[in-house]
Amino acid sequence: MMLDVALVIFQSLALVALAPLWGGVVAALKARMQMRRGAPITQRYRDLLKLTGKETVLSEDASPLARVAPYLVLGAAVAICTWTPVITTHAGLGFAGDLMMTVALFAAMRVLLALLALEAGTPFGGMAASRHLALSALAEPALMLSVFTLALVAHSTDLAAISRAVASSHDAWISPSHLLAATAMGLVVISETGRLPVDNPTTHLELTMIHEGLMLDVSGRHLAALEWAASVRQLLLLTLLANLFLPWGIALEPTPGALLFAFAIWLAKLGVFAVAVALLESVTARMRLFRVPEFLGMAFLLSLLALTSDSLLR
Amino acid sequence: MDLAGLDTALLGGAVGGLAMAALLPLLSLVVPGPPTPLRHTLPRALGVLACLAAAALGARGLAGGSGASIECWPGFPGQPFTLGPDALAAPFLLLFGLVGAASIAITRDAREGAGGRTRLALHAGFAAMLFVVFATRHALLFLFAWEGMTLLSALLVAADPRSARARTAAFTYLALSHLGAACIALALFTLSAHASSFRFDALAQSYAALPAADAVRLAWLFTFGFAVKLGLVPLHIWLPLAHPEAPAPVSALLSGVMVKAGLYGLLRFVWQMPGAPPEHWGTVMLVLGIASALVGALYAVVESDAKRLLAWSTIKHAGLLAVGAGLAAQLAAAGQPVVAGIALAATLYHAIGHGLAKSLAFLAVGEAVHAAGTRSLEHMGGLARRLPRTGLAALIATLALCALPPLSCFAGEWLLFQALILGYSAGAGQLRLLAPFAAAGLALASALAVAAMVKLHGIGFLGRARSEGAATALEPPRDVTTVLLAASVLPLAWGLAAPWSVAALGLPLSALLPGFDVHTLQGLRGLTLQPALLQANSISPLAAAVLVALFALIAALWLRGGTGLRALRRSPSWSGGAPLEARMQYSALGFTKPLRLIFEPVLRGERELEVLEEGSPYFARRVRFRTSMPALLERLLFAPIVQSVLWVSEQARRLQTGSLHLYLAYLLATLVALLLWGR
Repeated sequence: MMLDVALVIFQSLALVALAPLWGGVVAALKARMQMRRGAPITQRYRDLLKLTGKETVLSEDASPLARVAPYLVLGAAVAICTWTPVITTHAGLGFAGDLMMTVALFAAMRVLLALLALEAGTPFGGMAASRHLALSALAEPALMLSVFTLALVAHSTDLAAISRAVASSHDAWISPSHLLAATAMGLVVISETGRLPVDNPTTHLELTMIHEGLMLDVSGRHLAALEWAASVRQLLLLTLLANLFLPWGIALEPTPGALLFAFAIWLAKLGVFAVAVALLESVTARMRLFRVPEFLGMAFLLSLLALTSDSLLR
Repeated sequence: MDLAGLDTALLGGAVGGLAMAALLPLLSLVVPGPPTPLRHTLPRALGVLACLAAAALGARGLAGGSGASIECWPGFPGQPFTLGPDALAAPFLLLFGLVGAASIAITRDAREGAGGRTRLALHAGFAAMLFVVFATRHALLFLFAWEGMTLLSALLVAADPRSARARTAAFTYLALSHLGAACIALALFTLSAHASSFRFDALAQSYAALPAADAVRLAWLFTFGFAVKLGLVPLHIWLPLAHPEAPAPVSALLSGVMVKAGLYGLLRFVWQMPGAPPEHWGTVMLVLGIASALVGALYAVVESDAKRLLAWSTIKHAGLLAVGAGLAAQLAAAGQPVVAGIALAATLYHAIGHGLAKSLAFLAVGEAVHAAGTRSLEHMGGLARRLPRTGLAALIATLALCALPPLSCFAGEWLLFQALILGYSAGAGQLRLLAPFAAAGLALASALAVAAMVKLHGIGFLGRARSEGAATALEPPRDVTTVLLAASVLPLAWGLAAPWSVAALGLPLSALLPGFDVHTLQGLRGLTLQPALLQANSISPLAAAVLVALFALIAALWLRGGTGLRALRRSPSWSGGAPLEARMQYSALGFTKPLRLIFEPVLRGERELEVLEEGSPYFARRVRFRTSMPALLERLLFAPIVQSVLWVSEQARRLQTGSLHLYLAYLLATLVALLLWGR
């Protein structure tokens, strides 16, 4: 019991505390690849700290929702952390939420962000919210079909159960359906976290941005909450990709050695993702907005193929 | 304590109260007198109390009430009319009672002169008919109430006699509803002729005794008739026309409750008949359900009339109900009663969850529309600041309709998805093919519905006022906002208590699926929703909500601590240096432009751009822009039917030449034909 509580707290803390670091690492790696010196990897923490000290300005047109929504978004992100398997598939708070609850809470964060963007009544907020909702509407079917494929393998939609089922079978991960679903999920994660080639996370040109544009009218501690929530969400999606589709090394039983090993493996996987993202972002350009449906259509097709091959090969 | 008496009193009180609420305003039309407070308060108070009695009756029915019944002799041959709700009717009565009470409590009609009093009478009469539809066990009374429900609500749809749009809506509504009602009447009369009784239990027996081919035909007749009320594609075309035209409290009853009467009819007359539902029924419902969900969500996205957007969203949710019922039928046929139970539980739970959320949405948006003086989202805006209480109710309703946890539409969709996964694994023939597409389709529909709802609240209630009316809108009076806030508690409570709510549906579920134990869906002493067949997957909306609230609170306190609790500053929005005007905001049309472009091949939107005044070669000074979504189904499917009906009647007119001799010849010919035929 004590161990369970400790594990939940440790896993959630790890996700919440390390979230800004991952973005910093990717930015630093990208800078190196592009022969720049770049900011230190702790830059995101400094940004957050600076934001919390700044005055919070709210638009005169904003409704009371604007004062609550940033914290609710962050709260939802942290709540998902409590049942996400990071280093162990030992239950955690899995009773409260499963994969679908996770997807739904991500949707809730999206809705609140989009509403928040419309609060100030400026054109850029509307633009970003409109595009964000359109793209995530297309990502949703692909995501759901990947979830479906996973749930079929594990006979459950519980995150820890899926992770355990894939980790403990010898060949589940090598089946075509699993690989196809993993690829589809990868594409969805790219789109949902706003990385290139779907969205440029470093842009400062209003007309081209989606995820940054949502927060243009937010400032101070509200912005800090939203920035932090966005990075936690990004790390959560990557952790889900790592621990549901490639769960090697995750601790099936909570022994100290296995937990330490799992923690190291998790960090290593995140490092690999960071290198991959940095590499991808250095060599690709951002897609035209109306090419993105094709990109997400491919994700949908892959996940459909995953499901078909599952039913054919079983 | 004898509770049977209580049930009978509730039943009688509900019927009597609603009847009085309908008749009193009419009486005060006839008997002239000064408008005393009693005159407009009494009928409303009676109506609200009667609806609450109906809700209590529903709750008693869910708790295993004693099954009170009232009989009355209509004065012509046949059995006495019976009112006596059973387990299946109980959840629908509960929904009706809660929504009806809010709807009658909020209406302003009683104070608005003779027209208003007539509308209140119609409103209460419509509610009474809805109550009887759910409460009766007598086929003839059911038909009377069904028809009364359609007619009275059609009168309310056409309440504004000057509006051509309302007249078209009422006509389309009546035409399609009567087609449906004719099918139901034909099927019910066939059955009761065989049974020589109008009682529901006798009808079921005579259904079992029918030859299989006839029984299947009857089941499809019922399905067609009730699918019209449920608003399934392609019989949905009346719904987005009629629902928004009625006054908002009536729209709440129409979308929140009357649509569910379609589901009730399907469950009672197709599902519960012995040997039914027929083969392929489940597949048809599943396919139509997915189509409805997608069509409803897609058209909701591109709609910029606030109330019509909600009506399209009703079609989306009706689609979900059909998917649930169809899935359950397929699974039950494939010998998977436990999984079928999950799908059916999802259907019933969602029927109520959606009813509560959608009626709240109609009530709140209706108040906002009233305050701003327009239904178009393009002319609303900024209302959440001007009408904080109404805005809060609208926010809760929109979030619930996005199927976000922990509100009332989430757990139903979750259960549906679990049933899809289990059904696919169980591998029942067509389901193996359909389940993935159903899952993807529902996911797309949900995501589109989210976009539609964000558009409704974000464009309609947030930002700056887009018109003079919205800029000067006033919060409705205190009693109205109190009703709104009380009604907002319902979707929240139904969603937070999802495991208990589902468990409360145990009796109707076991009436539909004998032997199904609803407690297999609960885990951790009822805290979680956990289908027993799967490993360890459970959700608890309550726990998730507590976690989110807790962490949000911690984050707020911690982050505020950094600034030493400094209050925040309000300032005008910055828009690139230029003074911000309301017209610079994203419009409702522009907001969904990306989705409109992506789905252009399906939607076939029409646009027209005309330059009225050329300023320079590059910048026109004045343009006229018009865009519309053509009603494709009407054009492709219904227009040919209407054309052919018109053609036939054109031909039939040739018989009527006006010549007396010819008419006499017709008489003679008919006589001879009858003699020959009867020989």
